[in-house]
Amino acid sequence: MRNKIPPFLLTNPSSLPPERGGGKVSMSYIDKGIESFAGILKEGYAQWESASGKGFFYELDTRIKVVFWLFFILVVSLKKEILPELSIFFTVFVILLLSRVNLVTFYRKVFLLGFIFGFLISLPSSLNVITHGEVIFPVITLPKAYDFWLYHIPGVIGFTAEGVSVVSMLTLRVINSLSLSFLILYTTPFPEIIKALKVLKVPDAFLIIISLTYKYIFIFARIVADMHLAKKSRLAGALKSAEARDWIAGRIAFIFKKTQLKCDDVFKAMVGRGFSGEIKLYQYQKITGRDWGLGFFLLTLGSLILWV
Amino acid sequence: MEIIRAEGVHYNYYNRFPALIDVSLGISKGEKFAIIGSNGSGKSTLLQILSGLLFPSQGRVFFHNNELSEKSLREKDFLRFFREKVGFVFQDSDIQLFCPTVLDELLFGPLQLGLEKEAALERVNEIMQMLKIETLKDRPSYMLSGGEKKRVAIGSVLTMNPEVLLLDEPTSGLDPKTQVFLLELILALNEAGKIIVIATHDLSLVDELQARVAVLSEEHRIEKIGTAEEILRDEALLLKVNLIHEHVHYHGQTTHTHIHSHYLFHRH
Repeated sequence: MRNKIPPFLLTNPSSLPPERGGGKVSMSYIDKGIESFAGILKEGYAQWESASGKGFFYELDTRIKVVFWLFFILVVSLKKEILPELSIFFTVFVILLLSRVNLVTFYRKVFLLGFIFGFLISLPSSLNVITHGEVIFPVITLPKAYDFWLYHIPGVIGFTAEGVSVVSMLTLRVINSLSLSFLILYTTPFPEIIKALKVLKVPDAFLIIISLTYKYIFIFARIVADMHLAKKSRLAGALKSAEARDWIAGRIAFIFKKTQLKCDDVFKAMVGRGFSGEIKLYQYQKITGRDWGLGFFLLTLGSLILWV
Repeated sequence: MEIIRAEGVHYNYYNRFPALIDVSLGISKGEKFAIIGSNGSGKSTLLQILSGLLFPSQGRVFFHNNELSEKSLREKDFLRFFREKVGFVFQDSDIQLFCPTVLDELLFGPLQLGLEKEAALERVNEIMQMLKIETLKDRPSYMLSGGEKKRVAIGSVLTMNPEVLLLDEPTSGLDPKTQVFLLELILALNEAGKIIVIATHDLSLVDELQARVAVLSEEHRIEKIGTAEEILRDEALLLKVNLIHEHVHYHGQTTHTHIHSHYLFHRH
């Protein structure tokens, strides 16, 4: 072997480190994309870890949680008054307190999404151009009112009391729906949620497909992150856009091939463990008396809110 | 003179799971260095930190007395210098091979370094001869066997003529003949002046290489650094870090129990 080492490998070119402070290599769109892709792994681990804690709602049977979530989402959608919506908000808040969930991280997410998808999106509808009523906050004053075809543009355009009430109601409903969903996600590992969907008579085959897909997202994210590191280790500068596109195209083909092979392997592994076309999932253990009690209490509370 | 130096390196995955705790080591010119430890002890993470692919959450890493950081590796000149000098061979060759054919794969590195196409081709031909992969040059990487992929992966790094070669579990999943070939290649490259750093839990490989060894514990700390002989003779240490274990097997009709290490007892 020794005699076969090519002469160039015996040389040691440019052994001195360069003068520092030259030009910078900017972060490419691939780096940015893959960085956020790697975030999936982090989020997944964080969800699993934070959802596996100990506390009031964490320990409740997942099937009860899923039914609670569906029932309360229904109540949120049916009620159109502020008081019931506030009651639901308060109920979730108390459950969070009892379960010792980190309120700051929880509500930061809920309020941010609620602000974007509840408040910002519905805000224009509170203008008197859309919702008629008494203007409480004028924005634009025109010289006169305009009418054309079906439309009426008033002389003073502004936010109406009725509009503000509709927007507040909608924002509150979005915030409530989000906090109910995040409550489940923060206190229940995702694989448990999938399994608990059995209580809603979702077929086993469908559940196993969701769970395999969820698992594959992580495998996929890891392969992509590893491939990126492997490329980075051989890059002595920035890739040109065309080269970057080639790399992405090549890697997509590779992942497609690898996914196909993995799919075959998973199927063989299932067959090897006795799979013959019919999927039988592990049956849950019995719901305890405590869980029934809590479930009944939450159901009564939801019915009360619905009735008020 | 230490070419690579790690000082008090800590690393956590997803800001939660510790992979390395307070790791310090130095690797000198022309050295063979092995990082050993059981599964999950942080060997591969340490190797990736030494190659500037991951960055420590605490502590510092130096290459030729230049700190490796996200900032320093964004400087064009330093990035080029560092990547030219340090080659990394991944455990999974599949993720490392991303060009359409073996020839493209081997040409990628030298062309990145700005070599003329003729000079790059000359390098590639020499490497192909050395690794006995000339017949594979037009094949796509997915049509290669595991051993062939490993040769191509090593070749793709060697064409850049690195000063330091980092190899993650180089012999894992390879047949005995390819393992011997690889071992001879590593020794020859080291004799040619390359620094060899491997991460492995294969004690016989450490023995064959007679490298200086850093042992990582399951608590992700450096347990001991010493010569191959010192480490391999330290039975208590190897038991503690789970690299050897109690083993029951048959000798004829009788069962026989002893502490198991292919190096310490069988030497095979």
